[in-house]
Amino acid sequence: MVRFELVVVKRVKPLPRWVIPIIAFVIGTLIATTLLYFLTGGRSNPKILLDGIVNALMTPQLLLKNFALLTIVGVGLLISFKAAVWNIGGEGQFYFAIIAAAWVALFSGLGKIVFVNKFLMLILGLTAAGLWALLASLPRAFLGVDEVPVTLLMNYIAYYIVDYLVFGPWREQQYKYTRTPTLPTESWFINIPGTTLTFELLILTVVALVFAWFLLNYTRVGLMIRVMGSNPHVLRVVGINTYKVIMIALTISGMVVGIAGVSYLASEAHLITIPAETRTPALGYTGILVAWLSMLEIIYVPIAAYIVSILLTAGINIQIAGAGGFSVTNVFIGSILLIYSILVIFSEYKIKIIIKKR
Amino acid sequence: MSKQNLFSTQSSPTPILVVKNVTKKFPGVVALDRISFEVFPGTVHALLGENGAGKSTLVKILYGIYTPDEGEIYVNGEKVSITSPRDAIKYGIVMVSQSPILIDRLTIAENLILSLKKYKLFNSTRKAYDEIVKALEKVQLEIDPNTEVYRLTYTQKQLVEIARALLLGAKILILDEATTYLPEVEKKKLFSFFHQFADEGNSVIVITHKLTEALAISDYITVLRRGKTVATVERGKATIDLIRRYIFGEAEYSGRKLRGDEGEVGEDIVLSLKDLWVKGDLGDYRVKGVSLDIRKGEIIGIAGITGNGQLELFEAIMGLRKVDKGKIIINGVNTTNKPTRFIRKLGVGYIPDNPLRYGLSTEHTLAENIALSPVYDEFIIPWDRIYKDSEKLVKKYGIVTPGIHTPMKLLSGGNIMKTLVSRELEYASTLLIAYNPTRGLDEFTAYKVRRNIYEKSRSSGLTVFFASEDLDEVLELSDRVVVMNSGRFVGVFKREEVVRDKIEELMVM
Repeated sequence: MVRFELVVVKRVKPLPRWVIPIIAFVIGTLIATTLLYFLTGGRSNPKILLDGIVNALMTPQLLLKNFALLTIVGVGLLISFKAAVWNIGGEGQFYFAIIAAAWVALFSGLGKIVFVNKFLMLILGLTAAGLWALLASLPRAFLGVDEVPVTLLMNYIAYYIVDYLVFGPWREQQYKYTRTPTLPTESWFINIPGTTLTFELLILTVVALVFAWFLLNYTRVGLMIRVMGSNPHVLRVVGINTYKVIMIALTISGMVVGIAGVSYLASEAHLITIPAETRTPALGYTGILVAWLSMLEIIYVPIAAYIVSILLTAGINIQIAGAGGFSVTNVFIGSILLIYSILVIFSEYKIKIIIKKR
Repeated sequence: MSKQNLFSTQSSPTPILVVKNVTKKFPGVVALDRISFEVFPGTVHALLGENGAGKSTLVKILYGIYTPDEGEIYVNGEKVSITSPRDAIKYGIVMVSQSPILIDRLTIAENLILSLKKYKLFNSTRKAYDEIVKALEKVQLEIDPNTEVYRLTYTQKQLVEIARALLLGAKILILDEATTYLPEVEKKKLFSFFHQFADEGNSVIVITHKLTEALAISDYITVLRRGKTVATVERGKATIDLIRRYIFGEAEYSGRKLRGDEGEVGEDIVLSLKDLWVKGDLGDYRVKGVSLDIRKGEIIGIAGITGNGQLELFEAIMGLRKVDKGKIIINGVNTTNKPTRFIRKLGVGYIPDNPLRYGLSTEHTLAENIALSPVYDEFIIPWDRIYKDSEKLVKKYGIVTPGIHTPMKLLSGGNIMKTLVSRELEYASTLLIAYNPTRGLDEFTAYKVRRNIYEKSRSSGLTVFFASEDLDEVLELSDRVVVMNSGRFVGVFKREEVVRDKIEELMVM
């Protein structure tokens, strides 16, 4: 009797890494479209959904802002993920940077002084984001408390602090809307014509990428962060304080995410509206997806960020076409992440059919 | 079954296991290159070869942990494909490795039942219990099966593993360096068990680095070199020189003398332990008031059976474990309960137990692991220097690797060990603390490592404090031998005063 058996075999050579996000994107998109079609009883028209995505693909100049912000957040999170420190607190760090930058622009009295204002917004924004992340790292480092719930819950604290500020002391006085006054135009990042991008954001994106790449590959701290992720015991034996590595990784991670926060405020929002939780573009969370899709390799972060920003823009297109709310995007993102997680295994393993004779 | 029978050409028995042209490639390495060999029922078959020769890869293929890229495997004349340990067990192939895989909190019986239930061997626990008692008797482990595993010594754990293999119905028992760290007495017992097991028509495949052992216990010896079969020799035709030549090829090795007369031990005290008390993981004292002064350039070896406090003592010296009482002084500096970093900065190298867990990061490359050395403690990593140094170390220590940018996980166990030793020995300038410094290394490489340690201690006054489960190594390398038993130093012998029997007696006292 001949019997077939499927076995999982380790590949001699792993698949090139860039293949996986792309395959995941294609398969995930198809699955999401099919799923939505059947779940909505045919009301979700696959053509409109796919059109939304294709349109997004065809208008790269409109994706650039999200692409840049997601790249920065993705790279920031990647730094802590490399150390196996799971920073789910991107949102909180993002908002703390916004709070500090908004304070500089609105209330420091320096908001209208060209160059100084943006410089200070960045410095204070990054410091605030970094400190917020450092705070989250303390229970993990010294008490061994899992950083996932800690960083996650701290996001809500950050939201509520924003809500408090905007509802109370920072509220604009002219119309009494629940928002801050608009930032002085001197503090706005300068738009690159024909795109959604600003010059400063473009530069900051490149800086973030180069910084992370240099940090991880050329500094001792970076090496420790990477080894921390695969074998913390070795660090102890070598004489490295693992608490410090955790704290440094999370703080730097938060600071990089903070760059995105400041840029978001100065490039696009120009004021803060509340409730923060629903007004946020949730880049702190979407960035997790970007970091994962990049397989924690810096050079793939922009690719992953591009794919995700296509989906975000597609979501808007789909909304405009009336084919569903923004949550449709989440179905796409979820499907793609799921397929991706499965495919990652097959970058190192393959399925082989073996014929067995009984 | 007599040996005569095996070789009569007319009625040669079917081999129980045939490996035919098996090839296995890993990225950048051909681990096995058309390996063929046969194992006959009723025999003990030794697999020998230097580090990275492919022995472990081969037995992992037989046990279904790896699958071969090419080639065929026959069990009892039938072609089989083994894709998981479950398949292997079905064909009666069971492997026991160097490190026991038992759950500490469970009892022996629970551990064994766990692995057996899975295969639905027994329905009633009572029956299982009886079987377990019988299996434990067979491997001569006289212990209550209701003892929790964490109370067992390493030796006892290994015997439990072998008992498990028997319960799984092993016909071909594979031991991957599983006997390396057993004390002599236990080894002898186990070897007699092998023959008894073989006489029942089963086979044993043993991987070992001890040639004398291989010659003493095996009916056949197959030698691998760089992924190829060199030869299979039957007992009686094998001599230690012949086997050595097969293993190491042209590299002449003739049991060179380790120690010369070069240099003298200095007068200054480098490491001083004063009434040291250290607790183990379970909160009981594992080191109980040990005191010792070690002088500059002196090599002191701890003889002792695993688990008598050597590990805890070394961890305390390295600042990795709290000292409850007493003092540690390195070069006049009180280092008691100081951070590891502080102690390292005094020029202390450390070869820890369990190199894969505590010594190296296997996900990272060889060069990255070398870069972990405190020597390169600069904000910007001096990669150029590290790459050059890594190349040098690869040459000096004979590390077999496709390159310095290859992840450690692709290297064989021996070569991983060599990388660790090279990093720590090169870093150590005042003191080297080493636990099993030649673990898993082949005879020649182990000799080279010992020689490097010895030379460095003599030429630059490096003080060495090491422990080894290999008594021969302790006796060969040490200026003084300390016997450690139940957390205490029960004997200190100068090199010229060493009496092996006396030491062995103190070890098990």
